[in-house]
Amino acid sequence: MEPSPVALDQNFSGAVDDFPALLRRKGLLAPAASITATHQPGNVHQTSWQPTEATTILAFKFSGGVLVAGDRRATAGNTVVYDRADKVLEIDRHSIMAIAGVPATAWEMARVLEHSFQYFRRTQLQEMSVDGKVRALSKLLRDNFGFAMQGVGVVVPIFATYDSYPKPEARLYFYDAMGAQFEAADYAATGSGSPAVRGILYYENNWGAKPLQKLHEDEAISIALRALDTAAESDTSTGGVDRGGKIYPLIKIVSREGITTLPEQKIATVFKEKVA
Amino acid sequence: MIEEPYRWVEAIANRREYIEAQLALGSPIAALGFRGGIVLLTLGKTRQKIFEIYDRIAMGAIGHPGDIERLRLAAIELASTEGFTRSAVDVSLRRLAHYSLSPAMKSAFEQVYGAPYLARMLFAEVGERPEEDLFLRVEYDGEIATNGATLGQARQDFAVLSGTRQSRELMESFLKTEHSPDASFDAVVKSALDAWSVGHMTLQIGDAKELPERAAVAKYRQEQLAESGIEAGILERDRSKAIRYRSLSDKELRAFAND
Repeated sequence: MEPSPVALDQNFSGAVDDFPALLRRKGLLAPAASITATHQPGNVHQTSWQPTEATTILAFKFSGGVLVAGDRRATAGNTVVYDRADKVLEIDRHSIMAIAGVPATAWEMARVLEHSFQYFRRTQLQEMSVDGKVRALSKLLRDNFGFAMQGVGVVVPIFATYDSYPKPEARLYFYDAMGAQFEAADYAATGSGSPAVRGILYYENNWGAKPLQKLHEDEAISIALRALDTAAESDTSTGGVDRGGKIYPLIKIVSREGITTLPEQKIATVFKEKVA
Repeated sequence: MIEEPYRWVEAIANRREYIEAQLALGSPIAALGFRGGIVLLTLGKTRQKIFEIYDRIAMGAIGHPGDIERLRLAAIELASTEGFTRSAVDVSLRRLAHYSLSPAMKSAFEQVYGAPYLARMLFAEVGERPEEDLFLRVEYDGEIATNGATLGQARQDFAVLSGTRQSRELMESFLKTEHSPDASFDAVVKSALDAWSVGHMTLQIGDAKELPERAAVAKYRQEQLAESGIEAGILERDRSKAIRYRSLSDKELRAFAND
């Protein structure tokens, strides 16, 4: 008899699998890369091939939730590959993953993550907790670390979400390439332009007109734009604000009500008034 | 014994009789399409019977909880992996039911040494417009019925599921006159509650051939609402959202039930 198209054997239970495990069982996701097997320092052909990389993302808490912003540039070595890259990705109604690193890997991770959360809700009939979601991303990074060590597929994301339990509040996390998660009290920035951005956010938070958490939306937008523009000033991989091409960073806000993507017109207006 | 064709047919017939008897007590489920989406509704006291399957697909089922669970997880697994490898738009209820669930259920049903699936399921997929809504009823033997209509008949924007054929048919004929896709949300909830009451009354009485009186339906509905909870979900037609399913709470719907 031909095998049934559905795995409906009598002992079947989907409840034990998480979504990446399900994808691996079906051969739809590469197995976790081995860390030791193929790693040979100097084996990466820096001159012949370089992966496309996305840079500089930032996030900070303000009065209306968490603001997450990213420039639009994707580079490979010293070539600009794309100037409208989307590095701030919506994962579910209340979660955003922003990416610095190799978009091929990061977008796949975002896709796995998005489906994981939904798969969990549908099969287990309850939302995944924020801790569970944060851990899920950590696990994907850990699985990818072998590739990162081989010099391809490094991803350093920021994860912003809104938690309703135990108390309603915005939560912000950043990661390292190995999958360690750090909860940020006020702000986070990763990517090649992040040193400049962290400097600005630290300064604003301590000695600015008011702490980041007290900022209104327009003030928060202007600080995000200034920070990215500053990063672009010294880091060629960061796009900042393209004044000629009128390409603005992508800014999204996570709040209790969900995710808002700021319209370009709004960003352009703040940019003209406060930054340019 | 089943090497002989006659024995096999007999075994299948016994099995059908057994499953029908098991399902005969199943509380009805009504799915009604309208401009705002599709409402799935039932009344119950214990377990959950209406589930989200994928972005635009929901399921209601009666039968053994273990079997329902396995079929539900299989449907979610298929839809999720399809949506992941291709796109959420490529996940279609028609393919899910016809090419995946139905063949598996048929072969489980006909292999008389194994256990069949003791479940009857109603799937709904919300379309861009009410005319594009799809309802499929998948039986324990893999049989599929579409929108309660044949090719020659006009398409109906509702579908029902019940323990017996009689109960189902009376619910269908009730909704044929009572339900219109132009109805408002509260009218749809009311029709669904009434259709459930018609179906449930029929299961209790046993041998009803005709629709009960309106007053009797209303009375029965109030009696049942006093002791059971409303379980419902909606697949919204709102194009701005990717995920259309939302469960509706008893509290949200009680207001419409008391008129």
